[in-house]
Amino acid sequence: MSKRFLALLSALLVLSACGGGGTGGGTKQGDKLTIAIGPDPDTLDPMRQTTTTIQNIVSMVVETFVFVDPDGKYKPLLATSWQTAADGMSWTFTLKSGVKFTDGTPFNAAAAKANFDRVLTAGNTCPLCGAFRGVQTIDAVDDTHLRLNLKQPIAPLLGLMTEVTFGFLSPLTIAKGTDAFKDQEKPVGTGPYLLTDRVKGDHVTLTRNDQYWGAKPSYKTQMFKIVPEAASREALVRAGQADVILLPPASDIPALQADKTLKVILAPGDRTIFLAFNQSAKGNPLLQKPEVRRALNYAVNKELIVKSVLFGAASPMDAPMASSLFGYCKTGGPYPYDVTKAKQMLADAGASNLSIKFIAPTGRYIQDFQAAQAIANDLTAAGVKVDGPKTSDWPTYLGTINVPPASSSVDLHLLGWAPGFLDASQAMTQFQSSQWPSAGLATSYYKNAEVDSLLAKANSESDPAARQADYCSASKLIWNDAPWIFLWVQRFPMVTTAKVTGVQAIPNESFYTVYASPA
Amino acid sequence: MITYVARRVLASVPTLWGVATVVFVMARLLPGDPARVIAGVLASPEDVERIRQSMGLDKPLLVQYGTFLGSLLRLNLGVSAHTNAPVVEEIGSRLPYTIELAVVALVLAVSGGLLAGVAAAIRRNTMLDLLISSFSVFGVSMPVYWLGLMMIIVFAIDFHLLPAAGADDPASILMPAVTLALFSLGLIARMTRSSMLEVLGQDYVRTARAKGAPFRSVVFRHALRNALLPIMTVIGLQFGALLGGAVVTETVFAWPGVGRLLIDSIFFRDYPVVQGLVLMFGTTFVVINLLVDLLYAYVDPRIHYT
Repeated sequence: MSKRFLALLSALLVLSACGGGGTGGGTKQGDKLTIAIGPDPDTLDPMRQTTTTIQNIVSMVVETFVFVDPDGKYKPLLATSWQTAADGMSWTFTLKSGVKFTDGTPFNAAAAKANFDRVLTAGNTCPLCGAFRGVQTIDAVDDTHLRLNLKQPIAPLLGLMTEVTFGFLSPLTIAKGTDAFKDQEKPVGTGPYLLTDRVKGDHVTLTRNDQYWGAKPSYKTQMFKIVPEAASREALVRAGQADVILLPPASDIPALQADKTLKVILAPGDRTIFLAFNQSAKGNPLLQKPEVRRALNYAVNKELIVKSVLFGAASPMDAPMASSLFGYCKTGGPYPYDVTKAKQMLADAGASNLSIKFIAPTGRYIQDFQAAQAIANDLTAAGVKVDGPKTSDWPTYLGTINVPPASSSVDLHLLGWAPGFLDASQAMTQFQSSQWPSAGLATSYYKNAEVDSLLAKANSESDPAARQADYCSASKLIWNDAPWIFLWVQRFPMVTTAKVTGVQAIPNESFYTVYASPA
Repeated sequence: MITYVARRVLASVPTLWGVATVVFVMARLLPGDPARVIAGVLASPEDVERIRQSMGLDKPLLVQYGTFLGSLLRLNLGVSAHTNAPVVEEIGSRLPYTIELAVVALVLAVSGGLLAGVAAAIRRNTMLDLLISSFSVFGVSMPVYWLGLMMIIVFAIDFHLLPAAGADDPASILMPAVTLALFSLGLIARMTRSSMLEVLGQDYVRTARAKGAPFRSVVFRHALRNALLPIMTVIGLQFGALLGGAVVTETVFAWPGVGRLLIDSIFFRDYPVVQGLVLMFGTTFVVINLLVDLLYAYVDPRIHYT
């Protein structure tokens, strides 16, 4: 038996020795960075892509006017400056000159216009175009100036300009009727890397653009390995076969932190995780009382759950949006955990025998269903009769909550909400009554006329200070109305080997490895 | 023989039509709005509607079904709603990986299973028999997910011998193939053992031994060949099961095959790809069953197909 085992083992050794050279982590310094990610890209066309992780990869190839740096600040990229008209009805961008796409085509106003025209063309799929559809016409004023004329002021326009959805592809590849037009899956941009290889379901490989106009990256290639299973990603970084992994299994974070050969990065994010109360007329009438909703905010021990169920991969919310967003202001401490107070408040509100139906997704957010189970315990301890949490796969889940108020069927559901760019406008759609399903995804059916008018005003206000004030006032009203049980802002966990340095994150669940280098 | 094959092929048409219909209906019975899932939560209702129209989901169900069958007749599986690439291309780019994995696993399972089964049968009630039988039970009952992760921990993390995941290294196939093979290997070994035991007790085996035929020739030419019929049925079914069992294995080992494509497509409610894949699996089963039936005639000359 032992002989046979040895024979098998040596066979394995020989086989791995034959085939093992040159791939995985065993490469020279500065040569190749291997990053394991979860999702398989559905498309690499910036216009059609909606998944942050894939957008991150595309944005290493395709650049935008504006860039969000790891501190969450807007910085010039392909636009060197910008101006908005006094009435907010137009924006003029000054373009960086001397920049070329990697196919040699110059980047200029005409090229930028061709890209904007493309995303706005009726019939083109651009799921994240949203607010950008408020653009009326686009003028290439001269070679280096581009003007966007608007239908109505778009306050967060600069934020939109940071999204790779509005990045710039070589006009040769988007000119209709050319062969390249069919080939949007191979984006050609101006970025620090070029797309050189892709095997669906396995990997995407980028190679350094040695003609890049800005600072040149250290790694010659960066390979994104598609590994859907979190435990397998962890195995890769532990085996040294990946240099960076996104989203390890949350329950292994403490063990990974203890490993001296690895570094765990718990980057700040912009995704709020919350429990939305069904406040529609169809729902439980007790949940229409703000006192009851506030009471339940006191009933959940957020700090303990973050610590022991999420292993530190989140921070409790202290406002209805993440602190990385423009428009954030602190609206009072988190509702502190106080089960006695919660019980008392429920009794005062005549809700001592409150009964709620509770659902949560599984695997969509960090430890989502596990947290929901802990929350259900807390609510039960406060005397609430909890039916749940029940769970389902994401499309089913979304189909259950994304319904008009009259079809709503649960009292409480767990959801995460992350704006694509660091501005309150998308985050606050959750509290706009005009965004109730089917129009939007404001699935708590919350309505406060004052909040509605403050948010509408903020969306078209061109003075940043006034916008900030509007969002702050709205946040305070929302915090007090408690349309949610405010839970936490999820962090974005990444693990790197100690051999790599300079792996950064941008606080909208984005990784930034362009300037990573061997330690 | 040719008429027999032609008849079988014709008979498979209603089977595949049934598969197509069932998968069409079942995909649409799943709750959830494919257009919204594909557009993402931040998309506007207009954009969701645009995607719904491009998927043809705004049309009545019967019209969708008619379009689906019509395209099928022209061997057109449609376009993936998720990636916009033709379904044939989506499946085609991943199928070689799954076939490679299934074939390697099958070779391991059949060679290992037959040898182990024969060895257990001729050394019946010895330590070896006990070991092989326990190992077979182990193979049949180990969850693939757990076994896969254990192998990764031992061979990739602890001993740095093999790639933990992916398919970019020639040695990458070893762990997924072994993981996938173990279940079938156990099953084939158990089937071979019992089938061999039955045959080894037959008169003609005793006669062969008595006339002085070498032991090895008796075991492999007289006994195994006669024991093979039920084993072949199991092997044939196992090949289909391997294609399906690859779903979990491919996920654990990040192997870019069709199993993972199926999971992704179900989670995205990508109807055309789900339909295409299920039809492909259905066709594979039909073809393999036919091949097994034809092989019967080769193994057992008493069987004739007319």
